[in-house]
Amino acid sequence: MRTFRALLLTEIRNYSRDWATLFFTLLFPLIFVLLFGVLMGGIGDIDQAVVGVLVTTDADFGDELIDLLLTSGVRSVKAYTDASKLGGAVEDHVVDFGLRWDGSTLHTLYDASRLQENFAFQQLAEGIAADFDLLRQGAMTPIQVQRIHAGDVEITSWFHLVLPGILAFSVLTAGLFAVSGHLTQMKERSILDRLLVTPMRPTALLVAIAAVRLVIVFLSTLITLFVGILVFGMRFDVDWLRYCIFVVCATFGTMGMGTVIALLVKRPSSAGNIANAMAMVMLFMAGVYFPIEFMPQSLQAASRAMPLTHMAEAMRYVTGVQEMGDLRFWLTSMVFAIVGLVLFPLLARYVVKPSRR
Amino acid sequence: MKDVLQLARTHVVTAFRERVTLFWFLIFPLFLLTILTLIFGQLGQEATIHFQIALINEDHAAGPESFSALIESTFVRLSAPQEDSDMPLFDLHQAPQGESASFLETELSELRRGDRAAILVIPQGFHTSVRSSFGGESSGHTLELYMTDASVTSETAAGIIEQILSGINREILIRGNAYHTEQAVEIKTEWLGQQDGKGVSYVDFILPAIILMGFFTNGLFGVPGTLLFNRDRKVLHRYWVTPVTVPRYLTGFALGHLALCVLQFALLYTLGRFAFQANVSFSNPQTILLLLLSAITFMAFGLFIAAIAKTANSGMAVANILNMPMMFLSGMFFPVAGLPTFIRIIVYANPVSYLLEGLRKSVGVQTGTLMPVQLTYLVPLAWILVSAMVASRRLRWDVDP
Repeated sequence: MRTFRALLLTEIRNYSRDWATLFFTLLFPLIFVLLFGVLMGGIGDIDQAVVGVLVTTDADFGDELIDLLLTSGVRSVKAYTDASKLGGAVEDHVVDFGLRWDGSTLHTLYDASRLQENFAFQQLAEGIAADFDLLRQGAMTPIQVQRIHAGDVEITSWFHLVLPGILAFSVLTAGLFAVSGHLTQMKERSILDRLLVTPMRPTALLVAIAAVRLVIVFLSTLITLFVGILVFGMRFDVDWLRYCIFVVCATFGTMGMGTVIALLVKRPSSAGNIANAMAMVMLFMAGVYFPIEFMPQSLQAASRAMPLTHMAEAMRYVTGVQEMGDLRFWLTSMVFAIVGLVLFPLLARYVVKPSRR
Repeated sequence: MKDVLQLARTHVVTAFRERVTLFWFLIFPLFLLTILTLIFGQLGQEATIHFQIALINEDHAAGPESFSALIESTFVRLSAPQEDSDMPLFDLHQAPQGESASFLETELSELRRGDRAAILVIPQGFHTSVRSSFGGESSGHTLELYMTDASVTSETAAGIIEQILSGINREILIRGNAYHTEQAVEIKTEWLGQQDGKGVSYVDFILPAIILMGFFTNGLFGVPGTLLFNRDRKVLHRYWVTPVTVPRYLTGFALGHLALCVLQFALLYTLGRFAFQANVSFSNPQTILLLLLSAITFMAFGLFIAAIAKTANSGMAVANILNMPMMFLSGMFFPVAGLPTFIRIIVYANPVSYLLEGLRKSVGVQTGTLMPVQLTYLVPLAWILVSAMVASRRLRWDVDP
């Protein structure tokens, strides 16, 4: 027990002195959240859209068009009297898109370079145009559509799904680098060799590493979560018990994966680099920044094979922004736990062995 | 001159020997271009999106000529296998007759689990109610569209279903002689910023950004990384005992760095052009000038980091801290026009913003101006000047004795 306590203290000291690792586990997710919170806040949100409108002097139904726009749920409507000014406003992003009504044709104007947002603007403009068409003919819409929100959770923007994805990414990197970065670094610096000639049991070292990582992961995810809540006013309905269970299971699981990487590479220092590259590839493929449903089928299949995809989904579930069946949650958590409990203690012994230098 | 070229060659060869360097400078930009184009390149286009939806028609009694049957047949048609082997828009799950209530319960569970994107319910009496609306007896009938806010797929599917119903609305009005197609409002779409009036393809829009990202990471990580690690490992020290001087070393290093940028550009352009049919041309003099200016600006910025960092590790930490904010707050991947003022300060101070806007304008994928035009060259040049001054004063070319 004394050995373990000493190892634990050493690990804590090592961690607090390792600025690079501290940056990547604590500060990096925060930078991600702050950046994406600011950038993704209003992307494609109809209630954030500013519409520019120009009604030529002799066109009928101009007031009705403006009234329709005002009740369409957009943030604001700006009226223009000159076509070139309206075009300029669209191009300079003063307005998100423009409508020009000349009495017979409704021109919809988009900035061609706003590729990621135009899809939402087009949908909105088409809806407005259809309503205006009926209004002008004095026809009442025979079919009304009532949207009924069927889920138990309600989110206001895509960023609500991104933040738990970033938390999952923090867990992934912390777990992967516990062995593939930290342990291999100890090996490279001959610290392990010195430890191995002491009566210390390799298991004690592994448990100490795992314990410190676990605390750091909890700290990192909690700080990131609270920054999201405080800075961006986000609301999460966190199931704390499941949150804790999942973070523990996922951290162990990713530590197990890191161990496999550490065993497969020839040079210990390569393990960290491979883990870093793998994490970055997964970050873009796992639906953290954009829904995997938008990907082509082949990429969706690849995405489903990545642990981060399942981690992000489970993290969204425990933070209350995505629904998931109980069975699926427990299965995901258990798979990570089993991977961790089997791979980490069993294989890490071989990483710790001096013969693999 | 020979020694300078030899130094440039050494820089390139060393970069190739480092697998990490190869991954981040060559493979990662290629991967990013591929994945972003695959995802966003066909966003919203037919045959690229596919939704699992359910339809419950509780108004079967109205008969095959009814409005309820019109809606049902429209959705069935949109779910039928396509002749050109493209996927249909919907995979439709329909309720067996007489089992509407239990079917809805099952489908709602599927929707909550994310296995359905939306459920459309045509209520009993729908046809009669719609018909009576033509005589002014009622104001039409409401269809229930179940969806979930927690899923982008569900949101998108609901939007598309509403558009389809809007088209059916018109069809119903025409049948009821309440809508005259000859008086319909003509709708014309204009894409601003494109001479041919068509939209910009995603690959044309993103390719200049990924090229710039490649140059940026090359300068931000490659320059301080190479110089500081070489200094800390005393590799530079060995150079100084040969006739190589600092200016000659720097010239060779800069040439090698530019060669890596050219290689990055060639690979990215080839991938964009031949794998994703990018049409954007980088051959006009202004574009070439901007690409050269970008490579030099980011190299100078790398020297700036090397000058302010004490060790190679701290240099990499500084580069890591600056990497994400500078890349994302430039408009590379997300629009920056609507950002709050305090964040815009970073956008305006960021040389990447100016170079990116200049590059996109020069290749014809952007016409709007967020930055004052005259600053496109001035701000990056100012960064080069400041970086060169800081580097000349502070950068240590050898380890302390």
